[in-house]
Amino acid sequence: MSITNLLNNWSFYRNKRPYRGQYDLNRQYSEYKWAMALDLDVCTGCNACTTACYAENNLPVVGKKRFQHGQVMHWIRIERYWDEKMGEFPEKGASFLPMMCQQCEAAPCETVCPVGATSHTNDGLNSQNYHRCIGSRYCSANCPYKVRYFNFWNYPSTAWPAPLPDQLNPDVTVRTKGVMEKCTFCVQRLNEAKSRARTEYRLVRDGEVVPACVQACPTSAITFGNIVDPKSKVAMMWKNQQVDLYKDMQEKDNTVRGYRILEDLRPFPSVMYMERVRDMEA
Amino acid sequence: MIHRLLAVLSLAFFIGNAVNAEPFVQGGPIGSQTSDGYNALGPVVQQPIEFPHYRHARDMGINCMYCHTGARRGYVSAIPRIDKCIGCHQNIESVRNKPRIKKLFEYWDKKEPIPWKKVNDLPDYVRFNHERHIQRFYFRQNRPVREVCGYCHGDVANMTVDRRVKALSMGWCISCHQKDHKESDTNMKTSHGPGECWQCHK
Repeated sequence: MSITNLLNNWSFYRNKRPYRGQYDLNRQYSEYKWAMALDLDVCTGCNACTTACYAENNLPVVGKKRFQHGQVMHWIRIERYWDEKMGEFPEKGASFLPMMCQQCEAAPCETVCPVGATSHTNDGLNSQNYHRCIGSRYCSANCPYKVRYFNFWNYPSTAWPAPLPDQLNPDVTVRTKGVMEKCTFCVQRLNEAKSRARTEYRLVRDGEVVPACVQACPTSAITFGNIVDPKSKVAMMWKNQQVDLYKDMQEKDNTVRGYRILEDLRPFPSVMYMERVRDMEA
Repeated sequence: MIHRLLAVLSLAFFIGNAVNAEPFVQGGPIGSQTSDGYNALGPVVQQPIEFPHYRHARDMGINCMYCHTGARRGYVSAIPRIDKCIGCHQNIESVRNKPRIKKLFEYWDKKEPIPWKKVNDLPDYVRFNHERHIQRFYFRQNRPVREVCGYCHGDVANMTVDRRVKALSMGWCISCHQKDHKESDTNMKTSHGPGECWQCHK
């Protein structure tokens, strides 16, 4: 691919993913496209998803000092911000939002990795291969959501003292110093469910497999599923909220709450959020 | 304690603590080339009982999955528990006084699991799904079981103690995944194995 070729056919290469019909059961390009819908109106910000993620994906607890240095390793985090003008009581305007890897279709992190450690899977996931990663941290710099986390320290030797290694999840690698990691949509669960389904000559049923955060959510604020299947819960939510996977700008009326974060950067994320409705006068 | 040890034994693909894992030794002695070009012959493993695979799989014609039951329904093929051995051998009086069988019943009387050693070991960051391969090649395409298992494990039916004969390296896996395998005798559509990182790497 020469530069001239790239510039002449910019729109083609830029639009390579997602191309319309890429995830379509009738065309049989791909049977799965994992996606999420997150209702902020239902979310209470209780951090159960974060805790579940720590347990499922062998995340190290880094401690206060490293947290202040920005080296915390939570793959899903509750972001706090105060952006609404609340006048006399600004703390009333606090908002929060669970943020995890958005599994972008045109992922900015994938294009900049010098060794191809991060790439796209047929399921529409943004895969991260720890053993190919050399720790250049370009992907983290290019990620608009800042959801990639770097192992600055050798956590396997410090984060889990003597009895604790017994509780590590054997299906997930314990990452060592110098590699990048991020949310995987609990790919170990997805692979197992897909394997089980193939043995039984079927596709994965809706709700058969969920990531740890969805499983732990006490208010069911997060919905997870296969968006290729038009009858799955998540696909219907996307449709009801008039959010289209292939569009970078949604044309919708004001009555729906669905949106995707930083859509105008055109990463085509796989997570749809639904705005919180607030009573501003109360 | 015994249950715990049994559980550990039953995992042929035991994934331990990544920190204290044994180093993965790839390939065998220099010069031991296999037909597909990978230096592969593994070390001779001293097992607590010299289990005669040839007697069970070749002479008696027992299906591999009679003992390795996990292969058709899970990631790991599983080394059988001692009660699987006893279940048959308590009814076979003719070999009861052979030294290996005596050893087997010693473990049984002591209520101890047999400390088998791993032969086909993969690094901790790789998962190999036995189920997918067995379901595809054995149950769907009805290939002989010794052939299907033999793609990776070699001719175990002619061995006494199992010995690794293939490289079990990533390049070796990929060399097969890139081939187009016919789906069935009537369906001429071909398909190759998955090539995504996350299918095997975790």
